[in-house]
Amino acid sequence: MTAMEMSAGAAKRRGAGGWRWSGRIFLLLLLGFTVMPMIWMFITSLKTGFAAMQYPPQWWPAEPTLENYWRLIDPSGNVGRDFIQYFWNSIWVSTLTTILAVVVAVPAAYAFSRFRFPGRNFLFFAVLLRNMFPAVVFLVPLFILMKALGLVNTHGSLILTYLTFGLPLAIWLLKGFYDNIPVQLEQAARIDGATRFQAFLLIVMPLSTPGIIATSIYSFIGAWNEYIYAYTFLTRHDQMTLPVGIQRFFSENATDWPGLMAATFMMSIPVVVLFLVLQRYFVRALTEGAVKH
Amino acid sequence: MSTVPGQAIFRDVPEPRRVGLSQKVWNSRFDYLYVAPALIVMLIVIGYPIYYTIELSFFNTPASLALSAKQFNGLDNYVTILTSPVFWKVTWQTVLWTVLSTCFAFMIGLGAALALHREFAGRGVLRALLLIPWVVSAVAASYVWKWLYHSDFGAISAMLTQVGLIDKPINFVDNTNTSLYALIVVNVWKEFSFAMIMLMAGLQTVPDTLLRAAQVDGASPWQRFWHVTFPHLQGVSMVTLLLLAVQNFNSFIIPWIMTGGGPAGSSDIWITHIYQLAFGRQRWGVASAYAVILFLVMMVLGYFYVRALTKGDDARAGA
Repeated sequence: MTAMEMSAGAAKRRGAGGWRWSGRIFLLLLLGFTVMPMIWMFITSLKTGFAAMQYPPQWWPAEPTLENYWRLIDPSGNVGRDFIQYFWNSIWVSTLTTILAVVVAVPAAYAFSRFRFPGRNFLFFAVLLRNMFPAVVFLVPLFILMKALGLVNTHGSLILTYLTFGLPLAIWLLKGFYDNIPVQLEQAARIDGATRFQAFLLIVMPLSTPGIIATSIYSFIGAWNEYIYAYTFLTRHDQMTLPVGIQRFFSENATDWPGLMAATFMMSIPVVVLFLVLQRYFVRALTEGAVKH
Repeated sequence: MSTVPGQAIFRDVPEPRRVGLSQKVWNSRFDYLYVAPALIVMLIVIGYPIYYTIELSFFNTPASLALSAKQFNGLDNYVTILTSPVFWKVTWQTVLWTVLSTCFAFMIGLGAALALHREFAGRGVLRALLLIPWVVSAVAASYVWKWLYHSDFGAISAMLTQVGLIDKPINFVDNTNTSLYALIVVNVWKEFSFAMIMLMAGLQTVPDTLLRAAQVDGASPWQRFWHVTFPHLQGVSMVTLLLLAVQNFNSFIIPWIMTGGGPAGSSDIWITHIYQLAFGRQRWGVASAYAVILFLVMMVLGYFYVRALTKGDDARAGA
């Protein structure tokens, strides 16, 4: 090795090191940008109303208090009673939406993955296309439909409308999973005498459990976070889900910021925990269809 | 496998030659049983609303929901929209919102994906933390950022004051010049991690051997990225950009909760505008016409979207 080659090699190594360090610094800044709002949400939720209204703000509350959280989960108070009610409504609506979406989507996704029937491309196109349209396009007619069916102010209206986005998404995600299960497995089962439905039920279904879990989490979180339909269809307090319900803490003049932050924090816990525990499935579901291995 | 492309579609049909459409439909009648429940639900909650929106867009509607009193007025609603200056203002803001949010989210996501690609201690934890904004509801995000931006007690103003960049709190959100950009920051915060996971998955498909070969041949890190990694990411980048663009075009929650489209319409985008027209001013017909225009614009995007998503789809068939 000549001296020149050596110094070129060293420069290259330094170059690579430089890239790595700039990557680290970038990640650090990004981490700050990402978590700061959430930390501030938490810190604010520990303040009294008086402590929150200070400028410059107390970066850490002088007298941290869990009072705001107690208020939310205390069923004897007004705030607590409503909050618990919203929480249950959210869980109920999200769970039912998820079950319905997955049960209906599983056979459809399987058919789209495996069968080639006339109209299949058109129908799949229609399913995918739905994901492109905003809730607002459907809002006016669905609102009128719900009014006609007498479903305004009921959870039925939410569950039904949540299927407008839950179902296409579930079909697409599940199809991604079925596409990656080798057809040969079913063919072997067919040779061994299974019917096509048996092959689906006994061979493919068990293998697609991770996909079903992932799709379920996905549609649960989607329903949990949904706002626009709930905001439009529900006016009665006892029916509201969390994203709409927490509005009660907010008003232009006298917003209870610590209370609002405590409520948003509580609202975020279930989805964040669900996501952290089942992260692997979640990430896989999302990328399965988009990345061809 | 060497099949003629068109043939793959008919693989389940016993006689591939010269069968009529009705015969084909009959032969695959059991296939339809699998999709039937999904189709019925979709017909009710998707097909019907689309039909009804199109119908309403040609009518002059009463403010109440007594829609039997509606009157046909041809293309009047469309003319009203296209000749109103508000339409063009909102459209321009929607373009700004969509393009800026999409580009920034994508670039930050790409940077994060590249930086996270190499294994290092704490990588999993870091990835999980970066993903949280995307999981948290947009409602929560909107309220938190509203509080961060608060004109009197906002943490952002306070921080900028403390490091000496400004001397009195800035009103980010209630300012016609800054409101849209302040909201774009929130939106990018919310969704850059989506681009990040998509691209991280894409990076895993880049063959290691190619990268190593390039390294042996003396390619610099930048050359390796540009000539090896980037071409492999093109497919997933397209999908990610499209999904982000669609999602941003359809945004509602962040602008609605944070500003309601204000002040003075400075952060109004299409969706918030339509919502305001329909449920604020009860102009159902005009709002429906807006939705139809939006629908048509989305169809164009949709063509590319579906093509990107179904690429290679026909390679798999029949068990």
